[in-house]
Amino acid sequence: MTLDVRGRRWVLWSAAAFIAAALLLPFVGPSPLDLSRVWAREAPDWSILVQLRLSRTLLGLFAGAALALGGCVFQAMLRDALATPYTLGVSTGASLGAVLAIALNWQAIGGVSAIWAGAMAGAACVLFFVLGTSVRQQEISPFGLLLAGVATNSVCSALILLVYGLSGMGASFAIARWLIGSLDAIDYGPLAVFMATVTLLAILIVRQARAWNLIAMGEEWAGTRGADVRQLMRFGYISGSVLAAITVAVTGPIGFIGLVVPHLVRARLTADGRVLMPCAFFLGGVLLASCDALGRVVLAPAEVPAGAITACVGGPYLIWLVRRRT
Amino acid sequence: MLSLRDVGWRAGPTPIVERVTFEAGAGEFIALTGRNGAGKSTLLDLIAGLRAPVQGDIAVNGRSLAQWTPLERARAVSHLPQTVHVQSPVTVDQLVMMGRYPHADRWFESEEDRLAVEASMAACGCLEFRDRRVTTLSGGERQRVLLAACLAQRPKVLLLDEPAAFLDIDQQLNCFDLLKRQAEAGVLCIAVSHDLNLALGFCTRLIVLAGRTIACDLAVPDAVNRTDWLPYFSTRLERVMTSDGRARICYR
Repeated sequence: MTLDVRGRRWVLWSAAAFIAAALLLPFVGPSPLDLSRVWAREAPDWSILVQLRLSRTLLGLFAGAALALGGCVFQAMLRDALATPYTLGVSTGASLGAVLAIALNWQAIGGVSAIWAGAMAGAACVLFFVLGTSVRQQEISPFGLLLAGVATNSVCSALILLVYGLSGMGASFAIARWLIGSLDAIDYGPLAVFMATVTLLAILIVRQARAWNLIAMGEEWAGTRGADVRQLMRFGYISGSVLAAITVAVTGPIGFIGLVVPHLVRARLTADGRVLMPCAFFLGGVLLASCDALGRVVLAPAEVPAGAITACVGGPYLIWLVRRRT
Repeated sequence: MLSLRDVGWRAGPTPIVERVTFEAGAGEFIALTGRNGAGKSTLLDLIAGLRAPVQGDIAVNGRSLAQWTPLERARAVSHLPQTVHVQSPVTVDQLVMMGRYPHADRWFESEEDRLAVEASMAACGCLEFRDRRVTTLSGGERQRVLLAACLAQRPKVLLLDEPAAFLDIDQQLNCFDLLKRQAEAGVLCIAVSHDLNLALGFCTRLIVLAGRTIACDLAVPDAVNRTDWLPYFSTRLERVMTSDGRARICYR
């Protein structure tokens, strides 16, 4: 069987898993829902399902999808198995902005949640700074990017700790909670904007899948196979970082999805981006939404944040991956 | 087919190549040689369009390279870099298929692409391991796969940066044999090489870079009869004629 037949099947299966997760996971939670009351649209079961659980599941699906796809793009561009959409420091920048907004007790800026606005502003500053420092003669140097990203990450982390230490009890609890990364019920308005942005960027990125395959082999290789390397890299850094930034703004820095999912799909299915990227998109969503559903029931009535669950699953996987590489 | 006129490139303020002028046509197999740092790889990158010349002009089929889109250029010119780091678990099939990028405009490749890939894999002797992962191959097998990807591109100009550098002697001979056959089939092949005996044995023309420009440009039958170009490489070289009348370059 050729790759396109198998590949189409894999993509269809992962899309089916994505849709199944959207339909089934909202029914998972600490308090069981009465199906007959849901069917009759009676309170409170119907509103719990639609207002709380469904929006949260959709958020998890699209956030996980965005992180996994961003991971695919960054691993291809940096040719580094350990690259994630957070490698450039966008997530710590976003965290710093959000943490400042919490510590200063800003509520809303122009009708948008101050945490989201702060996170987007922080991510944008970091992205411009890191890209700006690593451009030499109009070429972006991947090595320069990695170094600038590592440096920015540690500076922002230090500033986050400083803000955390200087803020009062209530704010520092909210900061700690936000930094783990978790999914919460979200209004459908912002959720729709988030889902539409992720979908649009995903379509633009996946359309270039054949060119990402070439980039993963090296810029010289891609350039003389006919890819417009400079334009593609610029688009990849910006779109991958925007995916990471908007996701971190809404959920906090959820770790390991962007690292683990692309590796799993590459190792189990294929390294061909035309199949890898859509599969990682769908399965990343399924993984994050499932981790969140697990977190709702595992210690009920307490909730374990999704970020803590993905870290517990992802950490051991990372160690296994590194041990196998060396 | 290929013409370079007064081409120069510099890294920042440092000139790397200057005033390079030559023309080459279909069917030639040119060995581009010279000491380390003479600018061989830079010149090859310039012809491949990976760098833009600071001076002068490079034209393929009478049209300046600057006017080609990356896709148009890749349909005519293929380039094999000195090193390609393969880390992701791609298969041989997938890697060779990458050579079809400039020809395939569909999401998945057509039957025509598959035939081209199979033909070039057969020419390079890598059909039998087409389903293996590239990371599991030996250096020689891997080089054949990369070469197959370049051939699948069906280029008019094939540029190779030290294609035989990491190969054992038998593989080096096979590699140059393959390139010679490509040249005879009408492809212009330009290979950077340090092995002068391989160059004299297989190539049709020898271009020696020294002092940032072309020091001598000889047809191989002329080069065999002369020794004045040897000092560009080392003062310790000499030409020896074998009993069957072939020239060999030896070290003293």
